[in-house]
Amino acid sequence: MMAFDHLRTLYGYRNLIWTLAWGDFKQRYKNSILGYFWSLLEPLLMLVVLYVVFSNLMRIQVEYYQLFLLLGIILWNFLSRATSMGLNAILGKPSMVQKIYFPREILVLSSCITALLMSIFESLVFIAFMAVFQVPLSANLIYVPLILVLLFVVSLGLSLALAALNVFYRDVQFIWAVILQAGFFATPILYPIDIFGEELQRIFLLNPMAHIIMTARDAIIYSTPAAAGSLLYAGAMSLVTLIIGYVIFAHYEPRFAEEM
Amino acid sequence: MSVIDVEHVEKVFRIPHEKRTTVFEALTGLLRPTDYETFQALKDVTFSVEEGEMLGIIGENGSGKSTLLKILAGIMRPTSGRVTVGRRLTPFLELGVGFNPDFTAVENIRTYATIMGLSKREINGKVDEILAFAGLETFRDAKLKNFSSGMQVRLAFSTAIQTDPEILLMDEVLAVGDMEFQQKCMDVLNRYRNEGVTIVFVSHDLGSVRRFCDRTLLLRHGEQVALGKTDEVIDRYIYGRVAEAPAESADPVEEAPPAEEAPSGNGRVKITGVKFLNKFGAESARFNAFDPMTIRIFYLARDRVPDPVFGIALYSERGEHLYGTNTDLKDVSIEYIIGEGHIDLQIDRIPMLAGRFLLTVAAHTRSGERYDWQDKAYSFDVIPTGRDAGIFDLPCVWRR
Repeated sequence: MMAFDHLRTLYGYRNLIWTLAWGDFKQRYKNSILGYFWSLLEPLLMLVVLYVVFSNLMRIQVEYYQLFLLLGIILWNFLSRATSMGLNAILGKPSMVQKIYFPREILVLSSCITALLMSIFESLVFIAFMAVFQVPLSANLIYVPLILVLLFVVSLGLSLALAALNVFYRDVQFIWAVILQAGFFATPILYPIDIFGEELQRIFLLNPMAHIIMTARDAIIYSTPAAAGSLLYAGAMSLVTLIIGYVIFAHYEPRFAEEM
Repeated sequence: MSVIDVEHVEKVFRIPHEKRTTVFEALTGLLRPTDYETFQALKDVTFSVEEGEMLGIIGENGSGKSTLLKILAGIMRPTSGRVTVGRRLTPFLELGVGFNPDFTAVENIRTYATIMGLSKREINGKVDEILAFAGLETFRDAKLKNFSSGMQVRLAFSTAIQTDPEILLMDEVLAVGDMEFQQKCMDVLNRYRNEGVTIVFVSHDLGSVRRFCDRTLLLRHGEQVALGKTDEVIDRYIYGRVAEAPAESADPVEEAPPAEEAPSGNGRVKITGVKFLNKFGAESARFNAFDPMTIRIFYLARDRVPDPVFGIALYSERGEHLYGTNTDLKDVSIEYIIGEGHIDLQIDRIPMLAGRFLLTVAAHTRSGERYDWQDKAYSFDVIPTGRDAGIFDLPCVWRR
C-alpha cells in the first residue's frame, strides 16, 4: 500500500524526472553531433580490443562471438554507468537538495534513466552488427523488455544505496569502482559460463547480472527462450536489491541537506 | 484557518569533533564512541500562519531563520516537534536552482519551471511571457554561460514568479540585484499578497518587513523571542528587551574606549562613556528612523573644572561630517563640574533615514583647549521605517 502511494507520488513528478534525465543526457553529449559519435566509438573500441585478445589468445569458440561480447559489454556498461552516475546523483546536485524539496529519489531515478538513454544509444551499434551478421530474429525477443526491466531495477537499487552512502562516506565511490572492475571479469561477459566446472559455475551464478546477460544473449542472439529459472532468480534478486537499496536510501535521506 | 502549524519545533545539529567521512574511518571508529558538540539551532518554536497572512521572520545572523525556513520547506527534518503544512508550498530560497550554463535561456526556463512544479502545458504557454518580463527576448537561444549575472537573476526570477503558489517561502532572494530589480520583486510580492497567497518572509530589511508583514516572529539564538504585530516585534528587535529586562541589552559598541591611551586632551575632564538611550529610556545601538534618542555622555573630573564645554560631532559611516554642536553654541553654560556625572543631548526626532552613524564626543574650554576628545569612538544604526531614499529626511509635501 505504501509502495503504491509512493509510486503514485513519483508518477506525479514524471515530468521533472524526464526533464532532469533528458537534460543530463543532452549535456553529456555537449549538444553536438560529434559528441554522439564519440560515445559510439567507445564500446566499439572496447569490442575490438577484447575481441582480438579473447578470440586469438584465449581461443574462445563461441558462435557470433562479436555479438556475444558486444551485448555483454553494453549490458554491463549500463549497470556500471547507472551506478557510477547514481553515486553522484545526490552529492553532485547540492542546490537541488539544499534549496528546494522534492522526493530525493527522483535525482537517483533520473540519473538511471540518463544512463538508460545512453545505453539505448549505444545499442544502435549492436543492432547494426546484428544486421551485418544476419542473425535470425525470433519470437524470443519478447523476453528482452522483461530482462531490461530487471537490469534497470538492479541498477536502481544499487544506485539508491550508493547515492545515500556516498553523501556520508566519500570513499564509497572508490570502493565501488574496484567492485565494478572485479565484477566485469567475474561476470560471464568475455567468456561463456561453461568454461568453468560445475562447482565454480554455481558460485558465479549467484550473481544476478550473470543471469541477466545470459538470458539476454539467448533471447536476442541465439533464438532461445530465456531460462525460466534464471529469470525467476534474477527477478527475485533485483527486487531484493531494490528494496534494500530503498531502505538504505530512506534511512539516510532525512540528513542529506545537513551533511552536504 | 491556519495553513502552517509549527509545534514545539527543535533542531539540534551534531558537530562531531573528528568527522568520519570514509568507510574505513567508520569501521575503525566503531569501537570508539564519537565525541560531538551539539548546536541547538532552534529551541521550542511554536507558531501558526493563517491563510492569506504574511508572516515576517527576523533575527540576527545565526538566529535560526534559514533553518526554520528549510524545515518548513521539508528540506530538513526537525529533531523534535511537528510541522503541518496544509497547502501547496513553493520555496524561494535560491533563484535559479538547477540552472545549467551550457543550456540556452529557453532550455533553462523549462528545467527550472519544471523543478518549481509547473506542468509542461503551463510552461509552453509562458515561455514568451517569461522572456519578455526578463527583457531577454532577443537572447532566447543564447547559452546561459554568456549571460551576465544580472541577466541570469532576471531570468530566474521571471521564471520563478510564474509559479502559482498557495504558500510562498521567501528567503533573502530579494537582496540581490539593483534598485529597479528590487522594486520589481516588491511589486510581485505585493501582487501575491493581494491575491491572498500566504507568505513567510525572512529578511534583514526591516523596512520591507514593516511594510508588508502582518505579523512577525523574532528569533534570537534559535529561541522564539517575540511573535506578534510587526511594529511591536521590530521595536523589540531594535531596542532589545524593553521594559522587562533593560539590563540585558548591553551592546558592545557602547563600551568605554581605552581612555588611557587617548592623548587628545589634557585629561582634566575625561569622557568615560557614551550611551544611546531609546524612547523607553533603555540603552540601544539601533534606532528606528524618526524615533527620539538621547545621547548621554559620562564624564569624570578629578578636580573642580569651571565652565566646561561639551560637544558632539556626527559622521556618516564613510566619514562625512554631517552635524556638530556643543553646549557653547547652544548657549548652555555649566558653572563647574567635579567628580563623576553625565550630560544628555536630547534629540526629539532622529532625522536620518537609514545607515550607521559615528559619533565624536569632546570636552574642552570655552577657548577651545581640549580636555578630552574621542574621535568617532561611538556608533549607532538607524533602521528605515519608510521608503524614502537617501540619508536624511527632508520634511516636505507635494502639491499641484
